[in-house]
Amino acid sequence: MRTLVGVFSGLIVLTILTVVTSRIDLGILNVPLALTIAIGKASLVVLFFMALKWDNRVNGIVLLLGVLFVSIFLIFTLFDTAFRGDLSNVDDTTIMDMEREMTGGDAAADHSEDGSAAAPADH
Amino acid sequence: MSVATATTEIPGKQVTYLNHEKSIKSWLLTLDHKRIGLLYMSTIVVVFLAAGILALLVRIELMSPGRTIVDAQTYNQFFSLHGILMVFLFIVPSVPAILGNFIMPIQLGAIDVAFPRLNLASYYIYMVGGVLVVAAMLLGQIDTGWTFYTPYSSRLGAPIIFMTLAIFIAGFSSILTGINFIVTIHKMRAPGLTWNRLPLFVWSIYATSIVQVLATPVIGITMLLLLLEKTLGIGIFDPALGGDPILFQHFFWFYSHPAVYIMILPAFGIISDLMGTFSRHEVMGYKFVALSSVAIAFLGFLVWGHHMFVSGQSAVSSIVFSLITYLIGIPTGVKVINWVGTMYKGSVSLKTPMLYALSFLFLFSIGGFTGVMLGVLGVDIHLHDTYFVVAHFHYVMMGGTVVALIGGLHYWWPKITGKMYNETAGRIACALIFIGFNVTFFTQFVLGTKGMPRRYYDYQPQYADLHALSTYGSWILAAGLFLVLFTFIHSLMRGAAAPSNPWGGASLEWTHTSSPPSPHNFDEQPIVTHGPYDYHHYYHGDGQSAEAELAPPSKA
Amino acid sequence: MSTASAHHPKLQHHFVSMDQQFDASKLGMWLFLITEILLFSGMFVAYTVYRVWHPEVFEALSGALDWRLGGVNTLVLLASSFTVAASIHHIQNDNRKGLVRNVILTIIFAGVFMFIKYLEYSGKFSHGVFPGEAYAPFGDHYGHYADVPYAPQFFSIYFVMTGIHGVHVLVGMGIFAWLAFRGARGDFSSEYYTPVELSGLYWHLVDIIWIFLFPLLYLI
Ligand SMILES: [Cu+2]
Repeated sequence: MRTLVGVFSGLIVLTILTVVTSRIDLGILNVPLALTIAIGKASLVVLFFMALKWDNRVNGIVLLLGVLFVSIFLIFTLFDTAFRGDLSNVDDTTIMDMEREMTGGDAAADHSEDGSAAAPADH
Repeated sequence: MSVATATTEIPGKQVTYLNHEKSIKSWLLTLDHKRIGLLYMSTIVVVFLAAGILALLVRIELMSPGRTIVDAQTYNQFFSLHGILMVFLFIVPSVPAILGNFIMPIQLGAIDVAFPRLNLASYYIYMVGGVLVVAAMLLGQIDTGWTFYTPYSSRLGAPIIFMTLAIFIAGFSSILTGINFIVTIHKMRAPGLTWNRLPLFVWSIYATSIVQVLATPVIGITMLLLLLEKTLGIGIFDPALGGDPILFQHFFWFYSHPAVYIMILPAFGIISDLMGTFSRHEVMGYKFVALSSVAIAFLGFLVWGHHMFVSGQSAVSSIVFSLITYLIGIPTGVKVINWVGTMYKGSVSLKTPMLYALSFLFLFSIGGFTGVMLGVLGVDIHLHDTYFVVAHFHYVMMGGTVVALIGGLHYWWPKITGKMYNETAGRIACALIFIGFNVTFFTQFVLGTKGMPRRYYDYQPQYADLHALSTYGSWILAAGLFLVLFTFIHSLMRGAAAPSNPWGGASLEWTHTSSPPSPHNFDEQPIVTHGPYDYHHYYHGDGQSAEAELAPPSKA
Repeated sequence: MSTASAHHPKLQHHFVSMDQQFDASKLGMWLFLITEILLFSGMFVAYTVYRVWHPEVFEALSGALDWRLGGVNTLVLLASSFTVAASIHHIQNDNRKGLVRNVILTIIFAGVFMFIKYLEYSGKFSHGVFPGEAYAPFGDHYGHYADVPYAPQFFSIYFVMTGIHGVHVLVGMGIFAWLAFRGARGDFSSEYYTPVELSGLYWHLVDIIWIFLFPLLYLI
């Protein structure tokens, strides 16, 4: 019971800490700090309130497995979204435009016709 | 050990799980894993029939260019429903829910799964999902394909709400089954049944369940977000509202690629057991086969982007996903090599289940190799969304999972029903399925490389001959499948009584239970002293009784 | 929980011992918890993706949420987690009164949480801050967010995340009401308290989700 009270007090202190630090502008450290505190709080809850510290090891492995796969989900999605549009060979000129340039001449007449079809390509 | 107790009784008079209670209620509210397995079987067979008929209709429509029997809108609904039914209601639950439920606890030497009530609940949750799918079907308009890509799906009419809910709910059933099985395998093993003595079918169910537990919640939240996109317009996926449609594809494939392994891993387990028993030879590289299931389960989570090479995702992610896709070839290759090696110097008996296992080996290898081809960035740009892809995943899903499932059903049929089936009919059906399948789908590889896009209603006349050939193949395939159904029905009505161990298997369901098993599976708690493929144990070991068990079954 | 409990009335026939039954239930619960984590992960991924794309929007809009209400709610949920842990501690010592008292306290804390949540939601709805297409803020506090690009995404994510979390809190309240009833009836003892243990695990997870939601949405 004493441990539980201790952990509870720790959680309250950390909550106040995260609120206080968020009021101060720490630049790029804002997000990492808030997340670190959150992870600390979550670990306290898991280890003591959920008693994983004294529990069967399998249950801990199960939890870590869950956390691992959430990270995989997040990181591999970010591989795409954080680098979206890095295909260097994609530019605003379409192949049809290039062909027109090469053949030259009657481009103007073609263009008015294909204008709508080419539009989605340049975004 | 206690093998003989049940078999010495006169068949027909012994108390089994089938006859100890007879009311309809005792079936519908049963907590017995065996009966729940049969409930699943009856439902899943109906789903397979419905989705199979849709497939036949799709093939007939495609027999010639232009309209053949239905209009384009109906055709779109047909292939969508075929996909949705087959994926979410047939193939994902198929092997785990039927054979996993029935066989796995017995192979563990357990009386039941860890949570019998949860097991029954899973079944009814699955049924609710099924009813919602039917409701959405009847309301019409579902023509998204089974992939539900946004923004098209989020702008569709009301039935999509039922469909997303249905998949959300069916997912729950899958999750609960997965949890149940993992706990069962961890906590319910018989004394002496160490992890190294688990039948490979159990290992594969274990790996499958892990994937089910980790991946299925994500399709749940994806469907929920799609639902909110549709009803509230939350703007996460729909570009018109500032959302990102590619993000939907990430969400969708984070589940749906691992789901491919939910579908194929249990099939691997069946094949391992079949290879061992019908080669009468210990499965080569037991540990490698077991752990490769786990490796595949893990790697399966790191490759989903290979479905999105042409979606506009970043080049970095395409490269990463492509590389890891190749890696999956390694544990898969380990399995195939070990299966082939198991037959080497074994005494192979070409009974029907083994014929299915050999078909599997052939068909799955083709499916696997073409999968590696599709994982190549440059090649995929050419083949993406063509019939090559259609052929590839049918080789894996149908040539792999369905063939293994049917093989497994033949293998365990005597155990499940207590009846033998007609061996000749079984073999003919297997041959028909093998031929019909290849005619249907190998043709589609050719179609795909020639540029025939998938899901199209109409096509250029130069594809007509191959499309017609594929359709003829689908009829041969259907004939084979109906012959399987007929063989089983015939066996139920006329089949000879099965001995407790007709194939000479060495795992607990063969050595320690009667056919069909008694209500609590075992007469006494089995104690395991050897591995699941120690067949010599039953040839020379302690078993005088085993000799009798190994005698060929009376004429089927 | 020893051999003496081998014939405990709560022992189901397919288990050998109460210990095996308890361990099995607990492992099952942990597996269920990771499915919950992965369910929420979808929303966390959506949050991260949009935050990486539009960091300034998310930073600015966290100011639109009241950190005082969020902070109080954090403390309330932490307190409820503490009472749950305490209730398990009590029943392990066969203190049934302590169990029931703490379970009821948990329900009260959860109710307070939901009430504050209600205040927050209604405050936003009354100023036109809705999830999705209905988003049309007005008034002193929210009006200037009307034309911020991707503000609808932020509020959609906020409403979906806290909404699904809120549903979990409501479900938890139902479960604890049932536990209080059974506890008062005397169903639980130090030999058998599996439902209390499992519900407790569930509740702590709901708390942990909030521990992450609070800074992500309200503070940074
Ligand atoms: Cu894939």
